[in-house]
This record gives sequence, C-alpha cells and structure tokens, in this order.
Amino acid sequence: MKQQRPAVLSEQLLLSVAEQLKVPLLQIARQAELGRLTPSEPVDLRQIQTTADMAVRLLDNYLFGARLALEDDYQLTLEPVSLSSVLYDTGQQLDATAKLYGVDLRLSLGGKFGPVLANRQGLQSALVSLGYALIEALPNLSPRRPTLQLAAHRCRYGLVAGIYSEVEQLTTEALRQGRKLYGHSRQPLATLTHTSGAGVFVADAILQAMDSQLKVSRHHKLYGLGTVLRSNPQLALV
Amino acid sequence: MTGMDILLVEPDIVLAETLRRAVNGAGHRVRIARTAQMAVEAVDTAVPELIILELQMVSHSGIEFLYELRSYHDWQDIPVVILSHVPPGEFSGSWQLLREELGVRAYHYKSRTSLKKLLGVVNQFVVVS
Repeated sequence: MKQQRPAVLSEQLLLSVAEQLKVPLLQIARQAELGRLTPSEPVDLRQIQTTADMAVRLLDNYLFGARLALEDDYQLTLEPVSLSSVLYDTGQQLDATAKLYGVDLRLSLGGKFGPVLANRQGLQSALVSLGYALIEALPNLSPRRPTLQLAAHRCRYGLVAGIYSEVEQLTTEALRQGRKLYGHSRQPLATLTHTSGAGVFVADAILQAMDSQLKVSRHHKLYGLGTVLRSNPQLALV
Repeated sequence: MTGMDILLVEPDIVLAETLRRAVNGAGHRVRIARTAQMAVEAVDTAVPELIILELQMVSHSGIEFLYELRSYHDWQDIPVVILSHVPPGEFSGSWQLLREELGVRAYHYKSRTSLKKLLGVVNQFVVVS
C-alpha cells in the first residue's frame, strides 16, 4: 500500500506559506522605505519588530511540521499537557500582533481542566499559526473592533482548544472548500481572508501529526476553529 | 500642484496605513477601504479622483468591485490603478477586458512597486487631470 505523504510536506502548503510570507516582508519593506523617503515620518520600529516576529514564527511552525514529517516515524509524541498553560502562552505570542491589527485578544478558561494528551510544542505551534491567520483576517470581517478568544471547553469526545470570534464566516463549508483549494488558489479561504491563510493550513498539518484535526467549533455564542484533545482522568494524577 | 482625492482599496491594515502615509505626504487626500463593500460605500459618499485597487480581497474580489463600479453611469470615468499581489502575467489574457471594459489605467505588481514608483504613478494623474 502506498504511504500517503504528510500534508506538511505538500507543495501546496509550501506555496501557501511562501505566498503568506510576502505580506509581512512587504509591510517591512514599505515601512522602511517610508522612513527613508520622508524623514518627518518616523519609522515605527516596534511595529516592524512585531511584523518580523510574526513572519519568523509562522516559518518556524511550518519548519517544525516539515522536519517532523521528514523523520521516519511521522508522529508527535503525546504527553500530558496543561491546556490552560498552552493557551496562556499562545496568547502571549499573539498579543503584539493582535494589538497591531486592532484585535482584542482574550483568554477564556471557564472551568477546571485536567491535563490532556497532546504534544505541547505541536499544539502551541498549531494554535499560534491559526491565531495569526485569524488576527489578520478579522478586521475585514467585523464592522466593530474585533475580539478573538482563546478558549477551552469540554465536549463529548474530550476537551476542545480553539480560537473564537463573532465572525460567522468560520464555517465547516469554508474550511472544507479551503482544504480543497489550497495550493491551487491564491485565496483558498476567500470568504474568510484576503491572504493565502497559510496559518490555518500549517495548524491543520501539525495537528494531523498529533492524530488530531482542525475543526470548526462553537464556544458559547462564538464561532471558531479548534481541535479535540483526549483527556484522561488518570493523567490528572501525573 | 493640488492634491487629489484618492481612494485606496487595500485589505491589509498595516500596508494600507503605510501607503496612506506615503501618498498623504505627497500632498494627496487618502481614504482607505478594506473590502469591496466599503469601497462602494466610500465612492458613494464622495467620488474620488483616483482609485488604487488590490484585487485580492475578502468575499468580493477587486474585479467584482470594478464591475459594480462601472455599472453606475456616474462612476464610469473614475481612473483605476491596480496595485496587487496578483502578478500581472495572470491577467495577460484578459488585459483588454481590464483596460477597455473596466477602465483600468495601469497594473502594478505590489511586490515590485516601491512607494517612490507608486507616487510617480499617482502624480501622472495629477498632470493629466
């Protein structure tokens, strides 16, 4: 039986990431040029740093998945992971970009969650990549100042960790279409973002290596994308 | 030289602000629209003297916006310059449509268009008008 090539090694994902990285690089190039052309317009170095950091993190997360896929055993080691701490750290990494795009970032951890079976680095890389994609998309989808919520909740199959907003365009159909089109279209998630949405597909690929999947999810009245993680009561003792 | 009223249709808020500051600094008045819907509303509020347009936008593309724009009699002559992530080579087959039916005056690939070059493009329209 022919072994299926991991999604993170696909040419489609590489194209999507390359297309996405043009955006921050162009932002930096034009900001630098503005500062050079008009000395009266000071260059916002903090903004340039945030933009560059975002690009490097996306690239790092992609490489994390790609290197893993090149190993013989394409599977991330699962370990007991504290969901609260992963979401908190994800929020820390996304904070500066959220401010740059005028998005209010919130952390919602209603309830006490025990550890889940996941790979900490994998889960965090996936959530950060996903968060970047949504932060960049949200200002064009919401007439008001958008809010993005990092949240966890229980579901029938375990615990869901995801990123949520009021934006109704986060639908199963949009994600299905996006998966079908990415690599073939410049804008596979056309109802959601003006970019290639690479962060969504990087997250998808990393989660697959954790035997998990990116899914459309609801949290209270919010719409979002997240992943279901297995909780195990025995892990609570670890 | 008097400044023009320019509508910048650009979905990326960081890039839009940088372009706005550059064009503003050259003496023009710039309004920003991030979506096709916002762009139609902006034109309806005050007709610009030039539109700088990205094609890749959320929900409705720049091409859809152009069809909508040109469907109104009063808006048929507003000059439009495309400044897009989409390489112009992808439109080589439909350049005639863009130019003759949709009134696109010039097409610039964003990756290769510096602010200096963009200001040069904008200033061409000041001379013409």
